[in-house]
Amino acid sequence: MQALTKALAQVGQVVLGKEEQLKLALTCLMANGHLLIEDLPGMGKTTLAHALARVFQLDYRRVQFTSDMLPADILGVSVFDPKSQDFSLREGPVFTQLLLADEINRATPKTQGALLEAMEERQVTLDGVSRKLPEPFFVVATQNPVDQAGTFVLPESQLDRFLMRISLGYPAPEVERNLLAGGDLRSLVRNLKAVISSEGLIKLTRMVDKVRATDELIDYVQRLLDATRSDDRFVAGLSPRAGLGLLKAARAWALIGGRDYVVPEDVQAVWSAVAEHRLAARQGGSVAAMTQSLLQSVPVVRR
Amino acid sequence: MRVYQVPVHTRLWLATALITCSLPQLLLGPVWQSLLLGVVVAIRWLVDHQRMRLPGRIIRGGLLVAAVGMTWFSFGRIYGPEAGVALLVSLFSLKYLEMVRQRDAYVVIVLGYFVCATALLFERGPGMFLFVLLSMLLLTAALVGINHSETKARASSHIKTGSVLFLQAVPVTVVLFVLVPRVAPLWNMQLDSGKARTGMTDSISPGDISELSESSELAFRVAFEGALPPAAERYWRGLTLSHFDGRTWQQAIPRGGAVDSYLYNGRGAPPDWYQQLQAQGKPQSGYSYQLIMEPTQRRWLFAMAVPMLEEGEASLARDMRLVARAPVTQRTRYSITSFPDLRPAIVLDVLERELMLSLPGDSFGRRARTLADQWRRDSRTDNEIVSRALRHFREQPFHYTLKPPPLTTDPIDEFLFRTQRGFCEHYASSFTFLMRAAGVPARVVVGYQGGEQNTLGSHLLVRQYDAHAWTEVWLQGQGWVRVDPTGAVAPDRIALGLRASLRGDEEAQDTLEGLDSFASGGLLGRLQQWTDYVDFRWQTWVLGYDNASQLQLLRHWLGEASPLRIAASLVAAISVLLTLYMLILLRQAGTRRQTVLEREFWRVHQRVEQQVGHPLAQGLSPQALARVIDLKWPKAGPLAHQWAVYYQQLLYNPGFGAGKAQIRHLRRLRNRLYKLLD
Repeated sequence: MQALTKALAQVGQVVLGKEEQLKLALTCLMANGHLLIEDLPGMGKTTLAHALARVFQLDYRRVQFTSDMLPADILGVSVFDPKSQDFSLREGPVFTQLLLADEINRATPKTQGALLEAMEERQVTLDGVSRKLPEPFFVVATQNPVDQAGTFVLPESQLDRFLMRISLGYPAPEVERNLLAGGDLRSLVRNLKAVISSEGLIKLTRMVDKVRATDELIDYVQRLLDATRSDDRFVAGLSPRAGLGLLKAARAWALIGGRDYVVPEDVQAVWSAVAEHRLAARQGGSVAAMTQSLLQSVPVVRR
Repeated sequence: MRVYQVPVHTRLWLATALITCSLPQLLLGPVWQSLLLGVVVAIRWLVDHQRMRLPGRIIRGGLLVAAVGMTWFSFGRIYGPEAGVALLVSLFSLKYLEMVRQRDAYVVIVLGYFVCATALLFERGPGMFLFVLLSMLLLTAALVGINHSETKARASSHIKTGSVLFLQAVPVTVVLFVLVPRVAPLWNMQLDSGKARTGMTDSISPGDISELSESSELAFRVAFEGALPPAAERYWRGLTLSHFDGRTWQQAIPRGGAVDSYLYNGRGAPPDWYQQLQAQGKPQSGYSYQLIMEPTQRRWLFAMAVPMLEEGEASLARDMRLVARAPVTQRTRYSITSFPDLRPAIVLDVLERELMLSLPGDSFGRRARTLADQWRRDSRTDNEIVSRALRHFREQPFHYTLKPPPLTTDPIDEFLFRTQRGFCEHYASSFTFLMRAAGVPARVVVGYQGGEQNTLGSHLLVRQYDAHAWTEVWLQGQGWVRVDPTGAVAPDRIALGLRASLRGDEEAQDTLEGLDSFASGGLLGRLQQWTDYVDFRWQTWVLGYDNASQLQLLRHWLGEASPLRIAASLVAAISVLLTLYMLILLRQAGTRRQTVLEREFWRVHQRVEQQVGHPLAQGLSPQALARVIDLKWPKAGPLAHQWAVYYQQLLYNPGFGAGKAQIRHLRRLRNRLYKLLD
């Protein structure tokens, strides 16, 4: 657990003043889920992803999505090697441990689909041959808010593949001053020390599954899911996959908090990040506010 | 041996149940019983609070001997219903005193149920029934409580569980009550109700009935099937009195008459007078009604002429009244049809005629005899004599009053010619005397006249103040005919009842004020009408549900009241109920019920809500609730967080183990927290 705190501290050196988001990102990583960061360009998304990779000693690749990109540009291609007279696979950038998919909504749905499928299956099939992706495999996708020009909006079904969605937002003034005074971020990132090995991270993700949740807690999670389904402000309620993700994220959050059991606060802490991007409002209004209001109205303890 | 302690949370229930169960007996029985119970409860309290050791064998033995001795002293015996129940109640409290093991507690409670049942030996009204139910509920709560010995249960949860058990038992009880065949009691308990009830005696002398008129106690109720007879026809005959000694009228049968030919109970060969009655054939019109007698300790019943018993245990007497098989010691119901058109005893035999004309010695009523002789000479028929006599009463300044002047040596002459102020018995007595002196066979009839209708149940209520006496004369070709001389003097008495007839009579006002009547008006009258109605329904539907009415009901439902059908319906009804209960239980099992811990959270939530004064969000987690407390009462903050963390451990940490001790600790935290919230 100390290692986790240290890791957080390390990343905190380069992503200033965003402890909450860092913790969520770490939670997402430990829960073996993919992260979607929705923000304007230049908010530190890349820095965050890069820092995470450094701290956990992960292979790191970055792909900038563009509208002329093809699935092969991500997954890889078979090429004919004249020397061996055979086809050999040239692996795409997806074959890595941490993939930063920058501005995923700039790519065409076809390319988006290819990546999302790889995320879900954790393997890539090329020319009929399946190839496993490395372990751990963690995608941090970033997305410009949808009102930006020339983007392809990710449909809700695709969004469900991401365990969490967070946004970093502008830094606080004093943090920003520090940022401005701090000099070159890239060299800072490069100087970050590895805290946990990738094997250590795999172990941690296994530990998440052992975090216990009592019946009372599971009841609470179920009540929350139920509330999204019976609330007619939403187009549709949360899926069972979302429910599993919620519980898993809560487990990871509990583990970061140093507990081997989940409490309702853990669920509440990850609730917005897990639920918000999967819900759509029926008649407009802020989905964020609606999602948050459910936490206010659903009893934590059975009435 | 480990000394068993009744769990603290149950002590109160047990003590309350003990007192409640004993209460009916304590109110009836001697004072020492209350003292004994008080002492026992006090000792038990001291023992329970470790202020005293449990009394040893010698003291307990002494108390036992004292209780038996005092029972003997108070009742003169230790068996029989009254003494037995008194002894049982004393032993009940002594058993409570010496409760050592858990088994003893069971014995006390089971004994309690029995004591409850004995209360019904003496009083069976709806009020007593409710009281017994309450006692049983308390006992059940205590029974639930002693089975909770290991936990820190709350006292109020016992009564809740007890009530649930009770409510579940009610439908089954009703089914058993309706369907299980009634068996005649194996023993007949002769209960001496103790109080000297007011009521009709088997003889009347001047002043007897006016005493009755000061009581508004219930004499009997009558529920008619169909229309009520007009007020002037409501003559409830009780006794016929045919022997007069100058002061007192008494029952008598003709010299040489066989007593067994006097009553006919429908079995064996009917006596000649019954055959005569039957020879007239049953008239079309009759009044059918249910007579519900209050206990009189006498055998005679009250009915309109000529009564025919439809249901119940009674015989018809030669003078056309009903006589029960045994003294009426408890409320009893009889179904009767009265045929006013039947002419009883058209033929009068010599001996009977002689009895009905007999007069006391010559020293009594000389002037009356002279007057009667005068009428005899001036009249051609008996009918004319009767009308002359009635005219005499109407025309002379007779006055109807409840407080007549005393009559000394010769009541007949003194009343007829000097005081001329009297009550129904004076008129009936002197009128009968005059008839006999004039040679018309006559007798005095005592009973009740009138009755007040309860519009809720449309039954008739006859009270003691409706007691009345009148005359029957035997006329050739008509048989016995009712003549009421009081009606000639005070027609209101017959048409409107006693109260109306005495209105405006200054002397009678204070008497009247003490008498109940629905006509008292206002809320009180309404209330009386309701209590009477409930009592009446209780009588007819519950207490009156005897073997006969059960058979009738079962025949109506099942077509035939065969044992097989009864058993089948019993099994079916109870199976339906049990299935119903099971379905309800299954439904409840589906939705897991709130646990103690979960309730604990909402209790604090509610408390904070009350203190804050506005509703709190439903979705507060324990920690968030603690933060709310911290914001509002910074002093309570640390404790609130401590509580929340502890609570969170209990509910969400499977490794923590939420045992009773932990819950206790949580409650302690909560109570300390409460003290800081104001």
